[in-house]
Amino acid sequence: MAGRRVVIVGVASHWGQELARRLALDPTIDYLAGIDIEPPTADLERMDFIEADIRGPLLSRLLPSTEADTIVHCGILWYPEAGRPARVLHDVNVIGTLQLLAACERTPTLERLIVRGSAAIYGCEGATPYFFTEDMARTLPLRTRFQRDVSELEAYVENFARRHPALVCCTLRCQPEIGPELDTPLIRYLDLPAVPTQLGWDPRLQFLHADDAHGALEAATRAPVRGPVNVAPSGSISLSHILRLVRRPALPIPHPLFGPALERLGKRLGAGPLYGDGVRLLRFGRGVDNRRLRTELGYEPRFDAEGAIRDFASKSAGRRVGPALHPGDLAGRLSEALR
Amino acid sequence: MNTRTEEQTDSEHPPAEAFADFLRRMRTGIEDGLDPMSAANRAADELPKRLGDVVQLLAHRVSGDYHEDEWGFDEEFAEAVYPLFEFLYEVWWRVEPDGVMNVPAHGRALLVSNHAGALFPFDASMILLSIMKEHPLPRWARFLVLDWAFVLPFISAFMRRVGGVPASGHNAARLLEEDELVMVFPEGAKGTGKQFSDRYRLQRFGRGGFVEVALRTGAPIVPVAVVGSEEIYPKLADARPLARVLGAPFVPVTPTFPWLGPLGMVPLPSKWRIEFCEPIDLSEHGPDAAEDRRLLFEVTEQVRETIQGKLYENLVKRGSAFVGPL
Repeated sequence: MAGRRVVIVGVASHWGQELARRLALDPTIDYLAGIDIEPPTADLERMDFIEADIRGPLLSRLLPSTEADTIVHCGILWYPEAGRPARVLHDVNVIGTLQLLAACERTPTLERLIVRGSAAIYGCEGATPYFFTEDMARTLPLRTRFQRDVSELEAYVENFARRHPALVCCTLRCQPEIGPELDTPLIRYLDLPAVPTQLGWDPRLQFLHADDAHGALEAATRAPVRGPVNVAPSGSISLSHILRLVRRPALPIPHPLFGPALERLGKRLGAGPLYGDGVRLLRFGRGVDNRRLRTELGYEPRFDAEGAIRDFASKSAGRRVGPALHPGDLAGRLSEALR
Repeated sequence: MNTRTEEQTDSEHPPAEAFADFLRRMRTGIEDGLDPMSAANRAADELPKRLGDVVQLLAHRVSGDYHEDEWGFDEEFAEAVYPLFEFLYEVWWRVEPDGVMNVPAHGRALLVSNHAGALFPFDASMILLSIMKEHPLPRWARFLVLDWAFVLPFISAFMRRVGGVPASGHNAARLLEEDELVMVFPEGAKGTGKQFSDRYRLQRFGRGGFVEVALRTGAPIVPVAVVGSEEIYPKLADARPLARVLGAPFVPVTPTFPWLGPLGMVPLPSKWRIEFCEPIDLSEHGPDAAEDRRLLFEVTEQVRETIQGKLYENLVKRGSAFVGPL
C-alpha cells in the first residue's frame, strides 16, 4: 500500500466516508482525495475534498490531475430518497459510472479500480441456486430497474477491464447492509412497530454487517483481485427468524397487497419506489456464496448471517418506541409468572 | 388414533406430550370411577407446571432462540411436524423399509429414487423417515424439489424448513460438498405426472444431471426403489388448460380430486415398501469424468435399471396393493 495515491468517488456516502477515515489513519498512503457533490459530514483533515458531480464531464479533467493510482467508486445509490428521486438513481449509477470510466481512460497513472456494486445483479426468484457464485450473474431475468442498472454498470466496468488488461478492476457485489447506526429503508422497515410480511412467504436473506461491509471494501482497496467478488456473510437467515430476533411482530399480508402497502409506508421508510426491488427480495430472498471473498480477497467476515442480526438486535434494542408488542416478550413474561 | 397419541407421548414434543399426559390422567380418573368433569379437574391439577414448560418452549421458539442452517433447514420445525409423517409412515402406509444399512452413516451420498404422487409426492418424506427411524445412526436427508414448488407461498417455506432445496445442480453439488445426504428424483414432474396405468414404469431420467453431480463431488449413488407411492393418487386425466393457467406442470384428476375438494387430497392407504440398494461408488472415475457424456448415460442407465428391477421385485413381495399387515 506504500506510496499509494487513492481517490474515493462518492465520498459522502457512508461507505466512502468510513473508507476515507480508515485510509487517513494509514501513514503509508501518500495522497487521499474524495470526490462528491457534497462534502462528507465527518471531518477528514488528511483528505482533499473535490467537489464534482460524477455525472458531469468535469470529472475527466479533475481525475487525471490527482495522479491517482487507485480509484474506489462508492457512489452507487441503492435507493431513492427525499430530493433524490428514482430517475436520478439511474443517472448516477449508469451515466455516472460511464463518466467515471471515461475519466479513468484519461488517467495514465491508474493501476486499480474498485467498484462497490450490488448482489442485486443475481435477481430474486423462487427457485434458484441457494448460493450464487460470481459466474452466475445474468442467468436469471433482470426484473427491476435497479437490477438492470447494476447489471449495465458492471457490463461497462467489465468492458473497460477488457480494454485495459494491465489494470486490476474489481467489482464488489454487496448484499444489503445492517447495522444499528445505519439509516436505510430496510433498517427503517425492520424498525416498524409491526413489520408487514408477505403471507406464506419466508425469504432466506443475508444481511451484511456494516463492519464487514467496511472491512471488505478496505480489503479490496488495499489488495484488489480481478473481476467480481460477492460480499456477504456466511450462511443465511429467514425473515421470520430475523423478526423474532429483533423482537418485532410480523404482520402478514397477501403478497399482491404488499407492494402497495409498502408504498403507503413509503414516506415513513423514506423510499417508496425502492420497493420494486425490496418486494422481490422480501418474497424470494437471495443468498450468495462468499468463498471468493474469503479465500482470494482474504477477508473473513466477522459476523455470519445470524450473528449480524443478533448484533443488530442487541444494539438497537434500546431505541424501540411504543409498547413491546412482540409475542416473545409476552410469552416470556407469562412463563415467568407461571413458575 | 390411539396409536398416534401414544406415539406422540414417546417422542419429545412437549406441547403434544402435555396434552397427551392430560388425556392419560383423565382416562385413569375415569377408570377410577370418577365422572368426566371431576376426572378432568383432577387431570388439570398437574397441568400448571406442564403449561409453564409449554409456554417456555413457545417463548424460546418465538424469541428466535433456535438455529436454521444456511439452507434454511430448521431442525426443530422438522421435529415438530415429524409425528404427522410418522402416523402416515406407521399406520397409513405401513412402510416396510429394506436395506437401510446401504445408506452411509456419515459423509456424502446421493439417494436416487423413483418419483410418484400426483398431488403431493410423499416419497421424499417417507424415505427420510425410514432413515430416521430404522438406521442405527439416523440423519436428516435433504431433497431436491421441483422448482415450481418454490414459487408457491406456504409450500416453499414449508419445504425449505424440512430440508428441501430447489432442484439445481449447484444446490446438489454444494450440499454434497458439505457431506450431506441428498435425495434426487430424476424422473421429476414426468414421474409425478404419469397416468395410473403407467405406474412403476420409470420415465426418462432427465439428462443424467444427477450422475454429473455425483461424479464431480465423488459421492456414491444409492438407488432407492419405492413401492406404494404410485397408488396414493391414481391419476386418470390431466386438466391441461387449468395447468397452463396456473403455470403448473400438470393438474391431476383422480377419482376423488378435485371432485371432493380438500377431502380429495387424502392419499389412498396403499401398502409401501422402500428398498435401499447397494451404493454405486463412482470415485474411481475422478471429477473430470463429469464431462464424459458416454459415462453419464451409462451410469444413468445402470441406476435406472437397478431401480426398475427392484421395483418389480418389491411389487411381487408386496402382493396386494392395499391390504397388508400393520
